[in-house]
Amino acid sequence: MAGEAVTGGALARLWRRVRAAVRSVRVETRFVLALWRVNLLAALEYRTAFISQVVGMMLNNAAFLVFWALFFERFPSVGGWGMPDMLQLFGMTATGFGLGVVLFGNALNLADIIADNGLDAYLALPRPVLLHVLAGKSRLSGWGDIATGVLCFALTADPGAAAWGRYAVAALASMTVFVSFLVVVASLTFWIGGASALSAQAIHAMLAFATYPLTIFDGTAKLMLMTVIPAAFIGAVPAEFVRGYSDRSLLQILAAAGVSLALAVVLFHRGLRHYESGGMAVSAG
Amino acid sequence: MPSIVVDNLRKTFAAKRKSAGLTGSLRAMVRPDRTTVEAVQGLSFRMDDGELLGFIGPNGAGKSTTIKILTGILYPTSGTAEVLGFVPWRERRKLAYHIGTVFGQRSQLWPHLPAIDTLALFGKIYELDHRTVRRRITLLSEAFEITHLLETPVRKLSLGQRMRCEVAASLLHQPRLILLDEPSIGLDPVAKQRIRDMIIRMNAEEGVGVLLTSHDAGDIEALCKRVIIVNHGQIVYDDRVSALKRRYLTVKDVGVRFVEPIAGDVDIPGAEVVKVGGGGYGLKLRFDTTVTPAAELLAHIGALGGVEDVTISDPSLEDVIRVIYEQAAAGEAIRPADGSWPSVEPEGSEGAP
Repeated sequence: MAGEAVTGGALARLWRRVRAAVRSVRVETRFVLALWRVNLLAALEYRTAFISQVVGMMLNNAAFLVFWALFFERFPSVGGWGMPDMLQLFGMTATGFGLGVVLFGNALNLADIIADNGLDAYLALPRPVLLHVLAGKSRLSGWGDIATGVLCFALTADPGAAAWGRYAVAALASMTVFVSFLVVVASLTFWIGGASALSAQAIHAMLAFATYPLTIFDGTAKLMLMTVIPAAFIGAVPAEFVRGYSDRSLLQILAAAGVSLALAVVLFHRGLRHYESGGMAVSAG
Repeated sequence: MPSIVVDNLRKTFAAKRKSAGLTGSLRAMVRPDRTTVEAVQGLSFRMDDGELLGFIGPNGAGKSTTIKILTGILYPTSGTAEVLGFVPWRERRKLAYHIGTVFGQRSQLWPHLPAIDTLALFGKIYELDHRTVRRRITLLSEAFEITHLLETPVRKLSLGQRMRCEVAASLLHQPRLILLDEPSIGLDPVAKQRIRDMIIRMNAEEGVGVLLTSHDAGDIEALCKRVIIVNHGQIVYDDRVSALKRRYLTVKDVGVRFVEPIAGDVDIPGAEVVKVGGGGYGLKLRFDTTVTPAAELLAHIGALGGVEDVTISDPSLEDVIRVIYEQAAAGEAIRPADGSWPSVEPEGSEGAP
């Protein structure tokens, strides 16, 4: 009887926790949707700027692809890769990056926000601070990257709902790894004071490595691109999943997204204990 | 019932020191000289529910650090604090539902959007239903006279208009306490007065407590009955505003206008004659109330001739605070052990009566 009562109590506690978690997800979803709506309203305040940034980014991306088109005209294959593979790789990276900066635009300047006491306003409000700060800004140019990514995919992929479904899953996973990586690097600011330059270098390194075929790197470099700078999980691996479904590649992109997200959340919140607001500028950590 | 209880609160920051120039920078890179800065040094105070409390001090005194600890933004190094029954740094999000904050130098409103959009977003942030948000926006926009401003992009508002919207936004969720960090910074006198009137109104109507930091002594004088002065992370004064002026400023200025001109030299025991002007009709004196009782002085004045008008003025709170800071900077004892308070002379008290 006592054992049953204990089990009943544990179940009731578990049930309460599940209900609280479901409520929390519902509340935060509503909140982040409201935040994205406000971001969109702010973007639409400046229609010309919005359109010019989107078109500008698409032209920028097109210039990059023209370079590769010329390259593959002379060397049709690099490590088994041709122009369609490159389009898929670039498209996946552009989509992941674009989604990241449109939905979580502050990821790019999180290090500056931490260093300039910018977390104060977020910490004074009753929402999860990391989610709030990341979604607190939207980069208009990201829409140009998303459009480029969709075009690249539409030009190269097999038509069909399954392929679009794989593309959506892969793009979300790519975005998660990208944003999480930026959060990890920016979180170093909590300890070392000024990680803005490091953050900018990490973004460039990430995007540079993500837009090259994985086959041109050797074992050690490949390992680096799957761990320290997880560029492979932004471009190559999700692109491979989009080309053709496999349990292995699905597991890889989901695991990469999950692990990087968990690492980012844990590191950021550990760092938050060291947040010194006005004292940060002189902090030795 | 106290809304804030702070006991022996401390906050230290690690800081790097370096000597000037390139050599100093290179030396600091190789062998950094680390030191500890004590921003808050054992603060203890209480604030009652619905109280209007001023929290003032010079730059670097530790007031903003204290406010940030009390809102859960910063962790203290040691000590305890409870705000509305919550430990701020452990229960930040729970506390945030019950407090409002305004940081005068950092806007919470979205600059490119009308304030009404930010208020709607705040409704989601505080999980308010649509009806409550609408009701509160109507009430606050009338109270703060911002109804006509709600649909104008915030970047196009004047600083005073924006600040009214900021304070209104901080009250949307009907908090029990608002923490205002320099709410009047950069505002002209008219805009300052409007903000003060509105804060007093919300305190009276909704019972919201106000913890206010400001460099403007006028804010404290107009809004607060009690004031805490901090310097170098320590409380140097915690009492009523009126007591602060009474204790610190025993020197008063007296302006007299006589019915007929007074003749000859004026000599009043216990008072310094600053000026005899206006063709003998006007007289300005300065006296110390601890030396000369006001009644005695007035009797001496009456003996000089028929008095048409007389004014006895307190120096402004600005003068009080200036003297306290100067004394603190000079390392003088702020509160003498015998409980007596040094007197100060008001600044700019020269001139014709």
